[in-house]
Amino acid sequence: MSEIKIQMKNISKVFETEDMETHALKDVNLTIYKGDYVSISGPSGCGKSTLLSLLGLLDMPTSGEYKIEGVDVSNLSLDEAAEIRNSKIGFIFQSFNLIDQISVFDNVALPLRYRSEAMSTTEIEQRVNKCLEMVSMTHRAQHKPNQLSGGQQQRIAIARALVGDPAILFVDEATGNLDSNTGDQIMDVLEQLNQNGTTICMVTHESRYADRATKQFKLLDGEILTTPTNRESNVNNTVEESEEVLTTD
Amino acid sequence: MNQSIYLLKQAWAGLRLKKGFSATVIATLGISLGALLCILTLAYIVIVKPLPYPEQGALYQLNSVVKDKNAEVLGRAYNYPSLIHLYDTQTVFSESAIALYSESVLSSLATHPTVKTIYATPKWFTLLGSQMALGRAFEQTENKESYNPVAILSYHTWKQKFNLDSEILDKTITVSGNNYKVVGVLSESFVEPQLAGTGSKTDIYLPWDFNSYHQSDNWRNRWGGFITRLHFIGKLDGQMAPSQIEQTLTGPFNNYWQENVSDIARFKGWTIQMELKSFKEAILGDSTNTVLLLLAGVTGLVLIACTNITNLFMSRTAEQQRQLAIQAVVGAKKRHLFHSLLTESALLVFASLALALVIANSGFWVLQHYLASSFPRIDELALNGFTFVSAVLIALIIALFFARLSAGIVNYKALNSILQSSGKGTGVQVSEKVRRILVISQVTIVTTLVFINIGLLKDSLKIITEPLGFETKDITTFNINVNGSSNLSSEQLQALMLELRNRLQALPQVDDVSQAISPLEINGMRIQTVEETQESLTIQSRYIDDRYFNMTGQTLIEGNFFSESDFKDQNYSIIINDVYARRLAGEGSALGKKISVGGDLLSVGGVVKGVKVPNETDIPMRAYMLTSADERQFILKMKPNQTLSREMIASILKEVSSQLYLKDLDTLEEKKSQMLFTQYTTAITSSVLATLTFLLATIGLYGILNYATQMRKFELGTRLAIGASRKDVISLIIKDNAGSVVIGLVASLIILLGLYIGFAQALSSYVNMGTVAMFFVTLALISLMTWFACYWPLRSIINVMPIHSLRDSQ
Repeated sequence: MSEIKIQMKNISKVFETEDMETHALKDVNLTIYKGDYVSISGPSGCGKSTLLSLLGLLDMPTSGEYKIEGVDVSNLSLDEAAEIRNSKIGFIFQSFNLIDQISVFDNVALPLRYRSEAMSTTEIEQRVNKCLEMVSMTHRAQHKPNQLSGGQQQRIAIARALVGDPAILFVDEATGNLDSNTGDQIMDVLEQLNQNGTTICMVTHESRYADRATKQFKLLDGEILTTPTNRESNVNNTVEESEEVLTTD
Repeated sequence: MNQSIYLLKQAWAGLRLKKGFSATVIATLGISLGALLCILTLAYIVIVKPLPYPEQGALYQLNSVVKDKNAEVLGRAYNYPSLIHLYDTQTVFSESAIALYSESVLSSLATHPTVKTIYATPKWFTLLGSQMALGRAFEQTENKESYNPVAILSYHTWKQKFNLDSEILDKTITVSGNNYKVVGVLSESFVEPQLAGTGSKTDIYLPWDFNSYHQSDNWRNRWGGFITRLHFIGKLDGQMAPSQIEQTLTGPFNNYWQENVSDIARFKGWTIQMELKSFKEAILGDSTNTVLLLLAGVTGLVLIACTNITNLFMSRTAEQQRQLAIQAVVGAKKRHLFHSLLTESALLVFASLALALVIANSGFWVLQHYLASSFPRIDELALNGFTFVSAVLIALIIALFFARLSAGIVNYKALNSILQSSGKGTGVQVSEKVRRILVISQVTIVTTLVFINIGLLKDSLKIITEPLGFETKDITTFNINVNGSSNLSSEQLQALMLELRNRLQALPQVDDVSQAISPLEINGMRIQTVEETQESLTIQSRYIDDRYFNMTGQTLIEGNFFSESDFKDQNYSIIINDVYARRLAGEGSALGKKISVGGDLLSVGGVVKGVKVPNETDIPMRAYMLTSADERQFILKMKPNQTLSREMIASILKEVSSQLYLKDLDTLEEKKSQMLFTQYTTAITSSVLATLTFLLATIGLYGILNYATQMRKFELGTRLAIGASRKDVISLIIKDNAGSVVIGLVASLIILLGLYIGFAQALSSYVNMGTVAMFFVTLALISLMTWFACYWPLRSIINVMPIHSLRDSQ
């Protein structure tokens, strides 16, 4: 059996205001194995982004258990969550979220600068250059993000997500701000990464991109509706294994 | 109208949600505008408002300027017989009056209060257009040489001393032993021209004939004496220029005096020149400059406050961008947004104005009660039409300014698209350069002002807490007035003083009695000639008895104190302080040195350690001589927690002799506090100003950095999302602002150095190692403030999960 990277059990998220409660996610169970390429899709407001925020430790669940590589991360302090985000998670945002004031190189290096154990300049350079090479952006290292096209910016965002050697890459509508050609190119990059062993969990509302994932989940009203549809997987886990660990109540 | 009400409701609802912002703006603007309105009203009254006297433009004060043989001005003072001659013979003024300002004892009251009196001729009241609350002013029946013993009370004296007694007319009061019938009470609205000094309020008006100089044959014919408390005022009807009038009067006046002093050698070459001053000039003196300086100060305070509020408004507008964008999307034009912003700023500014008027009114009270001696016409201070019109105008300008500023940073075109794109606050932008300039200016201003104020506070506290070198606890001093008309001989007075001394000593509350001048008295300069060198020195001289040093606990360095027999026998010895001793004998002993004082040759019998009275920067040379037994100044050492009331001492005096009246009664602690009033005021003012400046700057910096943080919310959220810890984000913000803060600190250092170089002479005594320490204290405070201003706006970003920042910014 393949190594479990992500495991969620009975995860719920409730948003409370003075006069109402909104159940964004209801008892979600989800397991992602090493090498998986998972897509989560569904209509607007179904809870896709909320689920991805919880998966990426950008937010905390109201209840339930969440483990990354076997470590319980359901009730971390803010700084502990930051540490995990830095070392185990790579996040790709729809709007790239690059910092315009600093160079492409520095944007990519940013997660390494926040490492609790300081890295040498040489090591940082090596890792940044390697990631820029992976997304074919080495020639743009000294540019500022606002000098690049949307597709190029998203490539830089991917490099930044990869530079910390994360356990999993979370992708939030990575093609949402791109035209279809550029979007396709980005999806090619992600697919290539997965083929090289990177575990990816992607939220998208475009079925043609969701279909490219090896496991597809559909969300509606905060609940996962179906067991994953499996495309031919390039990793070792089987359909049975996936079905075994992914259930909805 | 409906639209205005709608806008007001919207603004009110918006501000209610931002209580911190609203409270900060109202408090900051309210306090600073209050100070501005207070000083602006003062400036209006002092500089612009006409004096409250009929024909005030025609009223003048005529001064007698005394010059020595080198034409150096010795002072402004009248020679008594010359003044009378002038008053009797002049024809330049159509109406004129003379007056003598004095202090007397109202001995008909049990407490023997000291009162300020004016001995005046009747025209004094005519020229000032005096309105009466009761009775009449002085008339021809009180003209010079009429000797009609009547009195007029000021309104405050009638109220405070006689409880507004409606039957006061025709009652008799006793002032310094003379009886006067009250014939009038001045109206409450009468504003006295304080010609004898700002803040000096006259209690009782008496006819000219009863002043002590007029009653003394010696003074009436004394050509060699000058009195500063004599005043001449008059009304000019003619077209002559003041300089012409001065010339016209100077000749005869000077010649008349010269003729009468021709046989006095020391007046050879002296002249008297007449000086005409408009009444306004005479009353205001140089206070106009002080008021203008104050006005500049508070205008500066308002500008600092406005700078800070500008920052808050920018921050507020940045927060409002989504709301503004929605308004723009549904069709609001630029002017609609401006009206919306104007309504909000106007609501805040007018709420501040209400607070400002309360503050201004409190300011009037403070000025009238604590700074009455610093500014003329301060009694006229009150909220008036000028204050209200100024307040409304200022409020309108400020409200428009803030609205314009807020509207100016809204990019209307970008606003329209903000809801359609991923937007990161592009609808509202203040350039980073502007933000940096604001931070630098804030830090520069606050560092400079806080440093100066801490310096003032430190110096004031140093003087306040500095030991005087003698005992002040449980010590009371008082002076006695003797009825002017009693002709007590020196021997009779000695006997009365001895009896008084014995009676006081017998009181259970009293531990010891000394017949001596108060150790806090600063007058008494005497010329002393050192026998050995024939050097003449002007020395502070105190006349004391044998109990003085024992009572004050002053340290004896060598020799002896005065003994009881010295006092009884009036031994010709002198005690000097160590400063004087060093002048006489260097490091050797000054004992036995001979000093000539007023024709008596005295031998130094003791040397005591020098003491300072408050406000003395250095210990002066001081000499102590035996007082005469008829001296009327006493010091009482009270038993712990015991006091003697004014009534009790007055009653003892009355028992000893009906000719004796209690004048000044103070404890040394009270007197010390009075003498340290400036230091206390400086300490309080500088503390308040330092705190206010610090708070305002903190608010200002908070405003700028809050704005900057709002602009960077998305970026900071991203940093947190990719693993930055809270510490990382705080460090980032502090590092980003450190450059501006350092530039601000350097700029303030340059300003302070500039001030030091520009005013090196005046400031040299203030600059020492303590100043460097003080600068570091200021730096620590500014650093703390900057850290706070950096950290506080970040809380809403770093203390929640990153998704909040990312989502809020979308």
